[in-house]
Amino acid sequence: MSEQKPTLKLDSVTKRFGDFAAVSGLSLTVRAGRVYGLLGPNGAGKTTTIRMIVGITAPDEGTIELFGQRVSPALQNRIGYLPEERGLYKKMKVGDQLRFFAELKNFAGREAEAAVDRWLAKVKLSEWKRKKASELSKGMQQKIQFIAAVLHDPDLLILDEPFSGLDPVNVELLKDLVLELKAAGKTIIFSTHQMEIAERICDDICLINRSRKVLDGRLREIKRGFGRNAVALRCEGGDGVLEDRALVASVVEHSDEVEALLAPGADAQELLRRLLAAGAAVTKFELVEPSLNDIFIEEVGGGE
Amino acid sequence: MRKFLAVVKREYVQRVRSRMFLVVTVGAPLMFALFTVVPAMIAGMKAGGPTRIAVVDETGRMYERVRDALTNARDEGDEAEEGKPEAANPVGQNSSERMKQAAKAGEQDYAVEQASPDGRTTEELKRQLDERVKRDELDGYLVLPKDVLEGGEAQYYSRNVGDVFTRGRVQDGLTKAVRDARLAENNVRPEVMRAVNRPVKMATTKAGGGGEKADNGQGFFLVFGVGFVIYLTILMYGQVILGAVIEEKETRIAEILFSSIRSFPLMLGKLIGVSLVALTQFAIWGLAFAAFALYGVAVLAGQGMKVSLPHVPASVFAYLVLFFLLGYFIYATIYALVGSMVTTTQEGGQLAMPIILLLVVGFYLVFPVVRSPNSPLAFWASMIPFFSPITMLVRITTQTPPFWQIALSLAIGFATVVLLVWLAGRVYRVGMLMYGKRATIPEVFKWIRQS
Repeated sequence: MSEQKPTLKLDSVTKRFGDFAAVSGLSLTVRAGRVYGLLGPNGAGKTTTIRMIVGITAPDEGTIELFGQRVSPALQNRIGYLPEERGLYKKMKVGDQLRFFAELKNFAGREAEAAVDRWLAKVKLSEWKRKKASELSKGMQQKIQFIAAVLHDPDLLILDEPFSGLDPVNVELLKDLVLELKAAGKTIIFSTHQMEIAERICDDICLINRSRKVLDGRLREIKRGFGRNAVALRCEGGDGVLEDRALVASVVEHSDEVEALLAPGADAQELLRRLLAAGAAVTKFELVEPSLNDIFIEEVGGGE
Repeated sequence: MRKFLAVVKREYVQRVRSRMFLVVTVGAPLMFALFTVVPAMIAGMKAGGPTRIAVVDETGRMYERVRDALTNARDEGDEAEEGKPEAANPVGQNSSERMKQAAKAGEQDYAVEQASPDGRTTEELKRQLDERVKRDELDGYLVLPKDVLEGGEAQYYSRNVGDVFTRGRVQDGLTKAVRDARLAENNVRPEVMRAVNRPVKMATTKAGGGGEKADNGQGFFLVFGVGFVIYLTILMYGQVILGAVIEEKETRIAEILFSSIRSFPLMLGKLIGVSLVALTQFAIWGLAFAAFALYGVAVLAGQGMKVSLPHVPASVFAYLVLFFLLGYFIYATIYALVGSMVTTTQEGGQLAMPIILLLVVGFYLVFPVVRSPNSPLAFWASMIPFFSPITMLVRITTQTPPFWQIALSLAIGFATVVLLVWLAGRVYRVGMLMYGKRATIPEVFKWIRQS
């Protein structure tokens, strides 16, 4: 877990398909032991970026360094990859299947066998080891697919849209497993367009849109950079105050509260004073950080 | 290497373990037996009793001969068969011969009677016989005019004029009877007649060879056999290879695989894995067939029959195996390439149709090649990888070409296989990046250049 040597480093990477540039001039650094979110709308170039990292395709320009070395087939064994498009051999038994995927990562023998048992026990699917994949429910299959990606104890785990199609229980389970791996010192990259989840588990993020990087860095710093300019508010009366566009830029009504976005240069304390002066009964007044979703929409949505 | 073996192992074990494999392995020989034995049995079925024929003999001296010719025709027929090679050639026994045998088995006995005029005119006699045919006492009758020996036309009246077998037999019998009668009238003795009728025997010997007798075209049939086995194997296993290549597309596993293994060992692993399955199946069938054949040979030998097995020199045998493998792999890799281009097995099946045609062209090339095995046509046909497995084998068994030509042909074939596997891997990988749509041929060429 040396901070000085990044797990992954992309330097001005470009990938074109014909005239279409899927990724252009992308540079990013993923530090060891962090959870790194690769965020962006559909078609932004997330999957292409990941495919270049795992060695499915090669960049047209730029370099990719893994563990301080140029990407090579040998390094593939140290990566675990859960693609967005994922499946299992339907007629193959779960245990055989997992052993096969491990063997493709050069991980075989008694150790692999033990790892299969350990992971199946962890997700409570031990009794399914000798069943064919087609007999499993979709949720179970998703767990097996995840195990296939982590079985060989990779140093870098890459998950492409891991939460799409998962039920809430499995989302929680997967989130816990990811955090557990992080605690064990693994580096995790995952791509998603679901900002709520990214917000909960990412240390660092990179936001890309239309093949280009929009922003990247530590999640906390990015949020701070956007300033605390929103107020979660629950109050009776004082409606006129929220109409003042010199003070409040916009208001979003939720079920039992409103979210007021302060106008540039306006002060939250000033808003509170004005509300009280107008005779409003304030039951909640909280300064909130912009959510990742807000940042995402502000950075990406505007260009649509 | 370990990854490659993992792929081979998976492809092999999954298939051999499947119920389908068991069903085909056990079922196919049964089906084969069914399809060879049952038609023969059906054709050989006797419908009803002997064919009853009355003969109206206006000459007054032909009846005996006609009767003998019809009732003894079977023995005569066997005598005529003598001219054929004694050791039945198992490879050469084609379906038309089988049909003939089946038809022969179906030949019926004949009950021949003389319808003597007893003072009646021929017209009256015919009316009377017509009545008997109607009453199902007779199946037909034959009228021999007085001048039948001088070329007069005999008349055959039958209830069933569509029965070509009986009509043919009656005509053959009559011809023989008339011919014998004519010879007898010219004072030719029966022994002389037999001597005259004996068929000519001809042996073929390779000119300039050791002077040993040629093998009745055994080598040629062997090549045809090998070609046929290639054809059969591809027909059976081409689809399996197609399915194996498409499997990961349909189950959406391809991306996981390509993040772990290069496309070349993956493709090769699949190819080898499926081929080992084919080999296993063929070995099982081969052993079963060998056991069956040995049993048959033992039974025939026990009956004092001489059975000669085809004799093949070791070098030719080695070439047979080599070119069989080459032929199999060339066509198998084309299937793999097709599989890498399409997204579903059905699509692949349609696209693979022209491949079989290519193989058929190879078969037809055998005929010009066997006539002149050293012609430029034969040379080029045996260098083009899609035809060489069959055409080169024909050349080897007829007029063995210089070794460098054989080696070159093998090398070209081998290079083609490697190139096709590499191509299939590349097309597959790039195609997968293109969101799983079916590739057009120009696109494929574009992908090959990309990485």
